[in-house]
Amino acid sequence: MSSSSAPRSAGWDLLGSELTVLFRRRRTWAMLVAIALIPILLAVAVRLSSETLAPGEGPPFLDRVTQNGLFVAFTAMIVAIPLFLPLTIGVVAGDTIAGEAGLGTLRYLLVAPAGRVRLLLVKYAGVAMFCLVATLTLAVAGTLIGAALFPVGPVTLLSGDTIGVADSLLRSALIALYVTVSLLGFAAIGLFISTLTDVPVGAMAATVVVSVLAQILDVLPQLAWLHPWLFSHYWLGFADLLRQPMDLSSFGDNALLQAGYIAVFGALAYSRFATKDILS
Amino acid sequence: MSHKSIKWLPAVVVPAVIAVGVIAVPLQAGAAVDLPDKTAQQVLLMVSDSTVTAFSGTVEKTANLSLPAIDLGAEMSGQAGKQGASGSGDAASGALSSVLELLSGLHTARVYVDGSAADGSVTDGSTDGPAKVRVQIQDRMAERNIVSNGSDAWLYDSETDTAAHLAIPAGAAASMKDKMAALDAEAPADVSTPSQLADRFLSEIDPSTVVTVGTDGRVTGRTVYELVLTPKATDTLVESVSISVDSETGMPLQVSVRAAGQKDPAFQVGFSSVDYGAPSADLFDFTPPAGATVKELALPQTPANHAAPDVAAPDTARPEVPTEGLPVVTGTGWDAIVEIPAASVPPELGDNPLMSEVATKVDGGRLLSTSLVNVFLADDGRFFAGSVPVDQLQAAASAQ
Repeated sequence: MSSSSAPRSAGWDLLGSELTVLFRRRRTWAMLVAIALIPILLAVAVRLSSETLAPGEGPPFLDRVTQNGLFVAFTAMIVAIPLFLPLTIGVVAGDTIAGEAGLGTLRYLLVAPAGRVRLLLVKYAGVAMFCLVATLTLAVAGTLIGAALFPVGPVTLLSGDTIGVADSLLRSALIALYVTVSLLGFAAIGLFISTLTDVPVGAMAATVVVSVLAQILDVLPQLAWLHPWLFSHYWLGFADLLRQPMDLSSFGDNALLQAGYIAVFGALAYSRFATKDILS
Repeated sequence: MSHKSIKWLPAVVVPAVIAVGVIAVPLQAGAAVDLPDKTAQQVLLMVSDSTVTAFSGTVEKTANLSLPAIDLGAEMSGQAGKQGASGSGDAASGALSSVLELLSGLHTARVYVDGSAADGSVTDGSTDGPAKVRVQIQDRMAERNIVSNGSDAWLYDSETDTAAHLAIPAGAAASMKDKMAALDAEAPADVSTPSQLADRFLSEIDPSTVVTVGTDGRVTGRTVYELVLTPKATDTLVESVSISVDSETGMPLQVSVRAAGQKDPAFQVGFSSVDYGAPSADLFDFTPPAGATVKELALPQTPANHAAPDVAAPDTARPEVPTEGLPVVTGTGWDAIVEIPAASVPPELGDNPLMSEVATKVDGGRLLSTSLVNVFLADDGRFFAGSVPVDQLQAAASAQ
């Protein structure tokens, strides 16, 4: 009993301390505050501006915000996905292994036997948790500021049907979940890149570059065959949750795609990290 | 050393396993299907005997017409903004860009049809029957909806937040049925049963077309018979039209049009998922959202033999076509050429910037060339179109 439960509880302890360290960092808080500022700035700008947007002008749903504050969260999500969310996730994921190596603390984390696999899993779980917290921050901040500055009422879906406020909050939560899932493959790439170097800033920058690159490839029509295989392909696919009835097929495709990325880059990260000489 | 190389195994094995899976799963889906042999006549009978009255599914349309690449997105949204002040030039190019949009790229739509209330007449997607229909064309971050519940038809575009409403007179469906009955009565005696109808259809198209049953296959996981229509004419751009018919329900699930000398189908519409259960009834009750711009459409005054409103294309700004300038069709079958006299061609169409973007200059006019259809705009303003090589269109233009 002691032989099997001791490493497991040690794993949970490690996860607990990893999450505590991650969410106590000032940098993490600064990034979450910056994420929350996106919907706030957006809502305040719309509130202060006197001109009314024509339908279809600006980012999707922006023209609806004045009639219904609940749209702030949707618009903020669309605005944040291409650059801001990948940027913050790139910072957290790029820091995972390289950050410890850079600080010279990696050695101490690996004193236990079979510690490398567990450390990778714990680090990845930390990044995944950050993805969830970041998207939820965006959704909650958007809903709150929207409710504070604009009237709140039934939400018109893309299909023209109208749903109530409670249903709309449920869909906001589902959208946050959808976006979290669609960022998991990218987080795995960040983890792998982080095992390649001892310089955290390099890993962060490389991870963010990968996300930008994938999105550039995703808009080139000549590479249409490649698009369904890009981890960023479904980043804006959460619009399918705003249709009536909800279209869950892209959610399934997306989950499968992200699982593939997690498997491939998880395996690469394992092989690289398990064979790495830890000198610091 | 060997210890280390073992640790590199996952990095090789996992991607390899995924690659194999990616290749093997579609192969398995496309595994050979062997259905009991049927003749073309029997497959046609299956279609006409089909009892499917309600279904829902996702339809995908891919077009690979080798159209010149143009930025339709920009054109479309530009049009959408201007549409309010609808000058006829705007309307013409709006219609043109809609057509071009339909003919290019990939579109996905969800389709819900419930005809069970209307004594089993299948309308497979067309909205001119009494069935309840909802079509949702999915765009990026937007959606276009067409809803018809038998008494009201709605069009809703989420991007512009506009809705259009068309009231269908209560008599439309009934008079439609009367007309069908009248047509049946007038029909020659030898088409009183579906099987004779199938025979007659086959013999009617026999001079121009070879109808065969192709290889059995699968569409969206269902086994299908493939009905292949091959033109006998050698100078047409169409190589073949194949219709995949569900082997259990007799419902056509996919239509592909192949162009001569092109590997991928030039145009393909088919289900990527289908469900034969009745869709939820509240899908067909549409109320325009608060704040949307609602436009009432008047039912076009149609000639007596065309009672059903064409809600699929409510082009209110369609220019009135003078009756003396009706299109002339030369030839029959696949290599027919349609000529539209200069008088009937809206002048805006020729001067349309979009037109000049997609058309190329050729001898005697301008040409819009695709792998299936060529459209020739002669310098004197006449329009020629047909599934034939360009030189035939030019010959037809210079012959008169």
